[in-house]
Amino acid sequence: MNDLTLIRKNLFRKKLRAILLTLSILIAFLIFGVLGAFYKVWNSGAELAADNRLVTVNRINFTVTMPYAYWGRIQAVEGVEAASFANWFGGYYQEPTRRVQTFAVDPESYLNVYPELVFEPEQRAAFIANRTCLAVGRDIADFYGWSLGDRIPLLSNIWQKSDGSASWEFDICAVFDGREDYPANYAMFHYEYYNEDLAFNQDQIGWIVIQTQSADLNASVADTIDTMFANSPAETETSTEAAFSEGFANQFGNIALILLFVVGSAFSTILIIVGFTMVTAINERTGEIAVMKTLGFPAPRIFRMVLSESVMLSLVGGLLGLGLAWGMVTLIAAAPGVSAFLPGLSMPQNVFIGGIGLAILLGLLTGIIPAINAQRVKIVTALGKQ
Amino acid sequence: MFKQIGAVTMINLRSIPQRAGLSLATIISIALVTGVLLGFLAMSNGFRATLQGTGSENVAVALRAGSQAELNSGLSSEDVRLIEEAPGVARDAEGRPLVSGELYVIVDGTKRASGTDANLPLRGVGPQALSLREGFEMVEGRMFEPGTNELVVGASVLREFSGFDLGETIRLGSNEWVVVGIFSTGGSVFESEIWADIAVIQNLYNRGTAVQSVRARLTSVEAIEDLRAWDEDEPRVNLDIESETDFFASQAGGTAVLIEFVGWPLAIIMAIGALAGAWNTMYSSVDTRMREIATLRAIGFSGFAAAVGTMVESLVLAALGGLAGALAIYLLFNGVSASTLGSGFTQVVFSFAVTGGSVIAGMVMAVVIGFFGGLVPAIRSAYVPLLTVHRSE
Amino acid sequence: MASLYELKDLSKRYTRGKETITIFEELTMSIPQGDFIAIMGPSGSGKTTLLNLLGGIDRPSSGSVECEGVRVDKLSEGKLAKWRSQHVGFIFQFYNLMPTLTAAQNVELPLLLTKLSGKQRKERVATALDIVGLADRKGHRPRQLSGGQQQRVAIARAIVADPKVLLCDEPTGDLDRASADEILETLQLLNRELGKTIVMVTHDPSAAKYAARELHLDKGRFIEAKAEPAQ
Repeated sequence: MNDLTLIRKNLFRKKLRAILLTLSILIAFLIFGVLGAFYKVWNSGAELAADNRLVTVNRINFTVTMPYAYWGRIQAVEGVEAASFANWFGGYYQEPTRRVQTFAVDPESYLNVYPELVFEPEQRAAFIANRTCLAVGRDIADFYGWSLGDRIPLLSNIWQKSDGSASWEFDICAVFDGREDYPANYAMFHYEYYNEDLAFNQDQIGWIVIQTQSADLNASVADTIDTMFANSPAETETSTEAAFSEGFANQFGNIALILLFVVGSAFSTILIIVGFTMVTAINERTGEIAVMKTLGFPAPRIFRMVLSESVMLSLVGGLLGLGLAWGMVTLIAAAPGVSAFLPGLSMPQNVFIGGIGLAILLGLLTGIIPAINAQRVKIVTALGKQ
Repeated sequence: MFKQIGAVTMINLRSIPQRAGLSLATIISIALVTGVLLGFLAMSNGFRATLQGTGSENVAVALRAGSQAELNSGLSSEDVRLIEEAPGVARDAEGRPLVSGELYVIVDGTKRASGTDANLPLRGVGPQALSLREGFEMVEGRMFEPGTNELVVGASVLREFSGFDLGETIRLGSNEWVVVGIFSTGGSVFESEIWADIAVIQNLYNRGTAVQSVRARLTSVEAIEDLRAWDEDEPRVNLDIESETDFFASQAGGTAVLIEFVGWPLAIIMAIGALAGAWNTMYSSVDTRMREIATLRAIGFSGFAAAVGTMVESLVLAALGGLAGALAIYLLFNGVSASTLGSGFTQVVFSFAVTGGSVIAGMVMAVVIGFFGGLVPAIRSAYVPLLTVHRSE
Repeated sequence: MASLYELKDLSKRYTRGKETITIFEELTMSIPQGDFIAIMGPSGSGKTTLLNLLGGIDRPSSGSVECEGVRVDKLSEGKLAKWRSQHVGFIFQFYNLMPTLTAAQNVELPLLLTKLSGKQRKERVATALDIVGLADRKGHRPRQLSGGQQQRVAIARAIVADPKVLLCDEPTGDLDRASADEILETLQLLNRELGKTIVMVTHDPSAAKYAARELHLDKGRFIEAKAEPAQ
């Protein structure tokens, strides 16, 4: 027997109470863990962004296109290591609701600026060489059951061919993965193949991706580019990939604030429930604490024991909640089709570690008042009350 | 029997202050859960109300077939001319068809809340546009002059985005525009838009005489079927035609459902946590009243009365929590303006709306928490051993 | 016999509201090593307060409590706790065992304040339980034991750290005659065989007879002292 035995026995003295408290703590940490995992996916654009990657879009708005020639001019800017471009295709497969995120790209340069995309060498070569090739991300290929060699039509809800049709035929010649958490939930094809048949807006591109020689040059490169196109019909706005992603995420609203409200409510709830229950529980034990003191247990040791008890309770509930969150997130991520919409959904390590920190903090907060009360118990008064 | 229950219940409720801390904890935790649910519902209801409040059943919206959104659509001036002659399309007193070809492009606006850029729709409209929107009025300033770089801005845009005050100059591409008026359409989606002369925008965006959507006033609500039939048979056009009401209502679905889809499970999971808390409180309540309950039972009160007393205490605490949560959300959020990316790929400004229906849903949830939280303790209080009356403690 | 306790001019007063209540005033006494004293007197006479002062869980208003040359009344809270753990064993009327712990764990509790190893602690607990005759009940919880058995566990807890003094507050107050006699015999044994100094507060004259001497406390004064043991 040691202090830990005493703490454990006290904690589980009223089993139902301990279980109920653990359950309510577990719920708060379950919410924290699951929302943390979703938030990471939500924020992944900014998080996975390379330091030295810039995005140039039309100053009016990123949905407004700019001339193809900008690509060549940007490549010549000092400090630019490599540049590529893409255009939004607005693709869907068979039905308008079966959307496929699709970009028209220049394959070779595009793969250069996105080293995160992992191709088999021969498939990479096939994608670059074959102008009707569609390179499909693993998540999309799995979702639609496509495999190498399939010939599939993709329709566009934006573009039309000069013959009035909105359907392009593609051969799937590459299936790619994302390195680590990098999403592979889109498809891409040759810009030239699509551009030559376009009924309108020919030789226009949606955005240009730039790799700078070093992140230190980002500001000067961005400045040079935007100055170069100032006062032209298509002025540009160049920002870092992270800033661009964050700006886009912000269009949906302040998701972080909403999540903060929810997690805050969940934690306020347990803080109040556990806090008051701990005060009650320690009050019930005043007599026992007085006896411990009589036996010679020093006040600081009793203070530590009570505080440890609430920290232990929080940790048990917190770890169970985080574990359950991990299990749920893993299950959700493994469900068919989920990876196409929530790429890289997993329990982030920093959420887990943050959760443990939060559990300790919760334990200290809920234990501090009972611990002070316990430390202050006056032996004579407490024993006299019995 | 009722007398018994009443007496026991009163004893219970009077003893709540003795457990003030734990009872307050229950009330607050249930208030927080109710608050989270009502917050999400207020968001979803507000968004839905804005979109459902937009559009008229008497107006048809025509887009290029398969384009799904105004942004993606494209129609020629020939399409517009054909629609003007189509059956079911109403005309004004002078015999001109009430048809408006409109351009829809996206420009950046800076959100006041985050300071980041977000998509705002810039709608190019002609003279007929106003006759197709009921409730349109200029709140400040005047309408733009055709052929000039003048803009009018929806009241919601002004509220959520910076830089659109009357008289301000806005740079779009290499052109400067002046805000000459602020308009209102009674809280509908159009208030989240910026309007300018269609010809100027066509020119600026190299669109020639093309438009993106065509709105037409119908001779009657049913006339939309004539228009659709005409579209089927007419080989020169290939359109998707919907009533404006349906067009916006279908846009409400996705986002509003998504918000509820997140809100409900969160609230239910949090409710389980609060339930554990309520149970814990009621358990303590029965614990501290053991002797009292045993005494009552000893002098002849029934176990059922004791159980009801405990249950009522639990329900009262839960209902108080539910009310407190609903009131807090109403005071904090009702009418608060927010904006999100709608399915038109542009910002839709809406106001949080705490509705009666959602308050009822929140109260039901609170009472359900109270019921299940109090159930086991209530049963326990019915079976308190009579000998407890002698317990010394 | 060498003196263990020296009490000089001991006073204890409480204030209740505006009223000052004097429990006793200028009490002077000495308790020799190996003594077994029964303190008797009506309730409110200051018996328990005296015991608390001897045990270092209460402080006098004035005067001094000295034990083996140590001014107990002057020790800081922390030092006092340590002093209690090493010098005094307490036995209460309602046993005051920890309901969540087994008999053996209850006995072991004071040893957590020592540097003894787990094995040494186990041996000491076994010895203490042996002395009170409860070796076969070491795994039982207080609720599973009779009152007499609980009090014997409490005695084992009081002696396990091998203190010189045992302070007993109505140790038989909650027990039937037979159990009470057993407890008192055990105390007597501890006094005679192990040389423990025992101070016992009681208002039961037949319990007091087990002591070596009786002191009667009334209104803060010893009114009569009995010099000879009853048996």
